[in-house]
Amino acid sequence: MTKFRTGMTMAAAATLAITLSACSSSDGGDSADPSGDTGGGEGGNTLTVWAWDPAFNIYAMEEAEKVYQQEHPDFTLDIQEVTWEDLQPRLTTLAQSQEFGELPDIFLMQNNAFQKNAINYPDLFTDITDLGIGLEEFPEGVVAYSTVDGANYGVPFDSGTAINALRTDIIGEAGYTVDDFTDVTWSEFIAMGEEVLAATGTPMLSGIAGEPDTILMMLQSAGQSMFDAEGNPTITDNAALDASIEVYNEMVDKGIYLEVNSWDEYIGTIVNGGVAGTINGVWISGSIQTAEDQAGNWAVTNLPAIEAVDGATHFSANGGSSWAISSNADVELAADFLATTFAGSTEFYDTILPSAGAVANWIPAGDSDVYNQPVDFFGGQPIYADVISFGAGVPANNTGAYYYEARDAVGVAITQIKGGTDPAAALDEAQATVEFAMS
Amino acid sequence: MSTMTPATMLKRPERNKGGAKRQLSPAAKRRSLTGWAFLIPAAVLIGVMMFWPMFQALILSFQTGRGTNLDWADPLLFNYDRMLDDDVFRLTMTNTLLYLVIQVPIMLISALVLANILNNPRLRWKSFWRTAIFVPAAISLVSYSLVFRTIFATDGLVNDFLLWVGFIDLPINWLGETGTARLVIILGLLWRWTGFNVIFYLAALQNIDPTTLEAAKMDGAGPIRTFFSVTIPQMKPMILLTVIMSTNGTIQMFDESYNLTRGGPANTTMTMSHYLYEVSFQNNPNFGYGAALSYVILIIVAVLAAIQMKVGDKRD
Repeated sequence: MTKFRTGMTMAAAATLAITLSACSSSDGGDSADPSGDTGGGEGGNTLTVWAWDPAFNIYAMEEAEKVYQQEHPDFTLDIQEVTWEDLQPRLTTLAQSQEFGELPDIFLMQNNAFQKNAINYPDLFTDITDLGIGLEEFPEGVVAYSTVDGANYGVPFDSGTAINALRTDIIGEAGYTVDDFTDVTWSEFIAMGEEVLAATGTPMLSGIAGEPDTILMMLQSAGQSMFDAEGNPTITDNAALDASIEVYNEMVDKGIYLEVNSWDEYIGTIVNGGVAGTINGVWISGSIQTAEDQAGNWAVTNLPAIEAVDGATHFSANGGSSWAISSNADVELAADFLATTFAGSTEFYDTILPSAGAVANWIPAGDSDVYNQPVDFFGGQPIYADVISFGAGVPANNTGAYYYEARDAVGVAITQIKGGTDPAAALDEAQATVEFAMS
Repeated sequence: MSTMTPATMLKRPERNKGGAKRQLSPAAKRRSLTGWAFLIPAAVLIGVMMFWPMFQALILSFQTGRGTNLDWADPLLFNYDRMLDDDVFRLTMTNTLLYLVIQVPIMLISALVLANILNNPRLRWKSFWRTAIFVPAAISLVSYSLVFRTIFATDGLVNDFLLWVGFIDLPINWLGETGTARLVIILGLLWRWTGFNVIFYLAALQNIDPTTLEAAKMDGAGPIRTFFSVTIPQMKPMILLTVIMSTNGTIQMFDESYNLTRGGPANTTMTMSHYLYEVSFQNNPNFGYGAALSYVILIIVAVLAAIQMKVGDKRD
């Protein structure tokens, strides 16, 4: 009986070991595809796509499908919604088990994660450098996200240019207009934010506790990154990072910045009138516009600058993504599809811009009239022309392969600093964590 | 034990078989072969699906590298050595052991109490209570984690209620502070798993021979004395089993940490299994290190189980 029980315990304890090693087997080879819903290289007129936002990138894919169908009536897309939190482990699992047969033809990849995946798992991707997709029509800095050793692996999709979106009605109650928030410094922003809070009880901004997106946008706006050009972490002795954390904590302490615990809560604060504004990549405008009752009460301007840092700008970026063609794709069809839509159709970008806020990286799209048209939701402001002008001023960001490790470590440090830890000590620990992960 | 439990019924033919091994009649041989035929599929499955991967994981834990570019580690125990310098791993281990030390005793004691209440013959609507207590154990770990996450959000049910009653003036950021976030995880675990253990204890209670209880009564023992001196000793094997299962489950806990708190704030609610998932799948994939972490978890579970059996099981 005792022996049996030991066996039971051992067996139960072993389940974890199993989940792991199931991913280490390398003799999988090309498996048959019983579900029939993944990509395949055998021709046909259907491409499978993984993307994650029905209001944004999935919508864009659907529109691209319509555009491509004009020339190719038989063409269809099978778009599967896979959140980024699931997409990354799926890719890792498939690459690790060499089950490339389960990959879709095209998948979307966060720009910040592109280097990590392309370096660790080049087998997931098709090199698109010589496939006739006009990558030279995208800004170099954006193509660089998906370029490893001179080989291109991604077609840039949306721009992550940061915007400072404001509720004109709420700041109006404190006597402010959007112009008062344009070209300001963070201390001016905080001073006005206190007035708004006093007048309306509404904080200026919101964000997810422990996720340092706001701080990283400030950091980038000051022309700094978490890594230097050689890819070494620069979390300690980084004056711009120290200043950003200081500004952030001041806002949280003063009640101007509301910390929430999840993405849904964050979106909730925006669309339910819980905050007077938000600072994020321009893709957030898609979510903002779901609050139809707030139409006309929003406006967009540039970011406050950090005054403590020389050369700090009013421009930054967060997020952004690119389309990758998988190694399991019908390469010819996928490349032609992307080349004639995301990298070649003004008509396409003219459709998705007003409805989804998808500001293109594709340079020729910027000449379109659509960009200069006023957007009713934003009080008639031609926000996309403004965003394009912001985009030109965004300082470059060194992401490297360890971007997410550094982001997590900085998030931990910020939580610790708020809990009373000495900032220098917390950041030292963050630096050590990243260096440990890289060792 | 005077009653004929399934265990004792099984034991007797076993002993007979041992004695008659040498002169098996053809019929007995056939029966024995039939027995093996029934055993082999399961045995092969366990071997292929559990022990072979465990062995592979052991090999993997001696390798190092990113993604699929794995090489033998130099020295061979590099991944295990590396763990000693890993502050995040140390933190996750502390978290996990904290859950274990606080949650498991509370859960098992309340399960014991609940089982005894449910076993009371004079209790009305017994099957209703029984179902109500067991239902949480039938709910998916992910669903209940997400429900708890919603309930304990800053604008969630709990805060709304506390504000309405007037206990607090400002909403509490349950999942944003280390102490409260850990508390929410422990509450979740208690809610999800107590009923599961109640069922085990009920089964054990129903196997207790009523004559022993009657005898205790005749000897003048009160209900409390009877419970501790007659009921508990007879439930000991079952208590041991639940202690081992709970320890095992808590040390390998993943879902609550991943879904309820995302390991936050600042990794202070992250469990060891969650960390090994991050190391393997979310960050730059380091499967060798992940496998080494999983082996350390295995060793911790095995050691704890061995101690518990040494302490708890005095029969053999």
